[in-house]
Amino acid sequence: MSESTATREPPAFAVSKKRLRLLGLTLDDAIKVFFGGNAFVSVIVLALITIFLFREGFGFFGQNRQNLRIYRQAGLEYVDFIRTQTDDHTALTRYLSDLRLRQLSFFLQEKKLSLADANAALAAFDDFADRFGTAIDPLRAMVSDLTEQATEIKTKFIVAGDKREERRQLTAEGKTADAAAVKIDEVNFTNELKPLLATLPTYRAVNRELEQKLKGVLDTAPPPPTPELAVRFDRFKDLVQIYVAGFPAVEKNLETWDYLKSVPVSQAFTAFVFGHEWLTASFWQDWYGVVPLFVGSLMVSLVALVIAVPFGVGAAIYVNQIATAAEQKFIKPCIEFISAIPSVVLGFFGIAVLGQALRLLSQQSWLSWVPGFPYSERLNILTAGCLLALLAVPTIFTLAEDALNNVPRAFKEASFALGASRLQTIVKIIVPASLSGIVSAVLLGLGRVIGETMVVLLCAGNRIAIPDFSAGLAVITQPVHTMTGIIAQEMGEVVRGGIHYRALFVVGLLLFLLSLLINYVAQGIVRRYRISIG
Amino acid sequence: MNIAAGGHIFQSQPNAARRWEHATFWLFRAATYLVLGCGLSVFATIVFKGTRALVKPEAPFINTTFFTDAPETLYVFTFEGKGYAQGDREHRAFIAAHPAAARVKAESYVYSAGGIFPCIVGTFLLVVGSMAIALTLGVCAAIYLNEYARDGAFIRFVRLAILNLAGVPSIVFGLFGFGMFVIGFKVFGVQFFGWNVSLAAGWFTLAFMVLPVVITASEESLKAVPMGFRAGSLALGATKWQTIRKNVLPYALPGILTSSILGIARVAGETAPIMFTAAYVVRDKLPWDVAKVSDFFFQGVMALPYHIYVVSSKIPQNEYTERVQYGTAFVFLLVVALIAATSILLRNKLRSRYQW
Repeated sequence: MSESTATREPPAFAVSKKRLRLLGLTLDDAIKVFFGGNAFVSVIVLALITIFLFREGFGFFGQNRQNLRIYRQAGLEYVDFIRTQTDDHTALTRYLSDLRLRQLSFFLQEKKLSLADANAALAAFDDFADRFGTAIDPLRAMVSDLTEQATEIKTKFIVAGDKREERRQLTAEGKTADAAAVKIDEVNFTNELKPLLATLPTYRAVNRELEQKLKGVLDTAPPPPTPELAVRFDRFKDLVQIYVAGFPAVEKNLETWDYLKSVPVSQAFTAFVFGHEWLTASFWQDWYGVVPLFVGSLMVSLVALVIAVPFGVGAAIYVNQIATAAEQKFIKPCIEFISAIPSVVLGFFGIAVLGQALRLLSQQSWLSWVPGFPYSERLNILTAGCLLALLAVPTIFTLAEDALNNVPRAFKEASFALGASRLQTIVKIIVPASLSGIVSAVLLGLGRVIGETMVVLLCAGNRIAIPDFSAGLAVITQPVHTMTGIIAQEMGEVVRGGIHYRALFVVGLLLFLLSLLINYVAQGIVRRYRISIG
Repeated sequence: MNIAAGGHIFQSQPNAARRWEHATFWLFRAATYLVLGCGLSVFATIVFKGTRALVKPEAPFINTTFFTDAPETLYVFTFEGKGYAQGDREHRAFIAAHPAAARVKAESYVYSAGGIFPCIVGTFLLVVGSMAIALTLGVCAAIYLNEYARDGAFIRFVRLAILNLAGVPSIVFGLFGFGMFVIGFKVFGVQFFGWNVSLAAGWFTLAFMVLPVVITASEESLKAVPMGFRAGSLALGATKWQTIRKNVLPYALPGILTSSILGIARVAGETAPIMFTAAYVVRDKLPWDVAKVSDFFFQGVMALPYHIYVVSSKIPQNEYTERVQYGTAFVFLLVVALIAATSILLRNKLRSRYQW
């Protein structure tokens, strides 16, 4: 009896109000789900970034393959084999003119001749240089003819592609009659290439002649005036020998060249990743090689880090370990303040003030021992690197200071108790204990610097070429272009969906992956080497 | 040891190690102050040269037209032996008054006359809109992470995403915003987004960019509210949501807002994300000159950072263009610096006010 009454009547303190339910969720659950959804947004955004970079960049490798295929089928590759010969010859001519300049300065400064006399003394050399220079003319004329032919084939192919697209669109719109009226000149590469390939015997003859001429010219070369120049001249002769010795290889390339050889998929990829040229909107052939941009980004970031790391970490150590409380209170907000300077203002400062100031500094005679000084390009790796360093210092400072702060007090006290001085404690205890944090601070600083756009766009000089590393350390005074800069500069001018557009998205994807990698490594270092604090 | 000289026996004596330590400390000190000096010199140069552009010798001393006019082309020419530098409108009026002046060859510099009013308005709109979005999303996300979430795979995943999002370069956000909001996408024939270059596209791009900053700042403020506040409320029978609304958020909100101001400085200062999503090089109409209200959200605007990029890269540096270059940079720096300074001061004040 008593049992049944207990089950029928609920106890007085039980909640009797029926809960509101939405889709089977109580209000509280619904609120929780709502907040959870917001938290999930960051995951979604990250996924969307990946998706959109992939979506827009996706077609690039296919289009690049097509780009390279036309390059081969229209015979552009064939012509470029011969063109390397004329290009190498131009390089040799440049060497000669450099030699002439040295001889001239020798005559003017050592022999104290007047300009007219010096030029007269160089008459024999000039004659030699002239004969050397004109020897290439027949080949150059041939290259120019072939260039025209190949360009014509390429244009025909592109026009045919456009027409095909037009017909496809008309068909899609249902205008079959109009579509049929669109005339497409299909390009028959075999026929088109025939005249191009038929020039091979002529080429051989021209080549033979060039070889003879160069040898004849070299034999009649005038002797240089000083032993030092003689060494250089011998070097030149060697270079010419090497150059001539390369002819058979070029001929072999031409003989075995086959326009039907397919372009493998991997080549579209390697042409991007290892390509040394980023050349767009050219009349001959567009190249999308990321190497010059990547090297540019890397050089600028390295210079920035080399400057920023000692200063950032040094300031962190000073503020955390050495400075008085009042100094700390003053310095920390100041450095935070520096981090608030917008990058575009820094870039403007670089253009308006720093570039000019650094160039003036480089032209001081007492600084001429510095590699690369004096230089004439106002905007270069150094200018951009200095400004980026100022951007990176607050990042490195804040994170490194955090890391130093996390070292337990006991470490420091134990060190003091053993009689170590403050410097010894800092160098041997505090810094090693927080090293993982400092390294990850530097890495995150690198991430900040490599992703920076406005400063490098305005101050790095924007020359798309791999800097000349043979100059040694002086390489930092050369202008470069960067991955971030190229996107900002060219994105506004490209045709949506074109290969150039997609190439920029692939560069963006590369940047994105790079930043993820840097983040991942930085987190990994912190996790792996964290000192367990008991 | 000369005790009589005034020292005492335990006083540290100068020796090589101590001198070495002192020298090293001075090196660290020099590095620190050099960094501050560099920052200061950038600031001082722009303030000094910018002030010359914004101040004039007669009352009201401030060049108000620079703040209230739109950018114009500057014409520099010599007419009847006198040198003139005139803005576009002024120049046309001058030619109307002196027809002979029309034949004088004038050098022209774009954007170098007039003011930067549309840029200020544009930057203001961009900041307000994107911060509204970022704060809504960010605070809600932080509430979930700090109040509801229990440690698990999902939370670790979300935290990882936030951490990685913080490291993504701003230009990549620009590309993403361009692909998603400006171009848009089609799913089963339904067009999503595709807003062209517009305020809305800029808002969302910038909001996603500062999201990690806002989430981190909000979470820290929520963490600072003592557990006892929640426990007390729950013990009195309040639901979780009631607890959060009445006993947690009111105490965390000041902290959330002040820390998020640093996010505002970031939003106002970035150029790369708005380059292809929201910014126009030049636009005649002001943002409120729209036919329909909905057009307001789908129009591009001029913005201060982008204007600085344009005037520093597209026009030559000389005495005539310096005014707009340094003037714009100064105004921009001032705005960002004010925001940042407010944030830092408020935070310091708040730290001392709430002590539980």
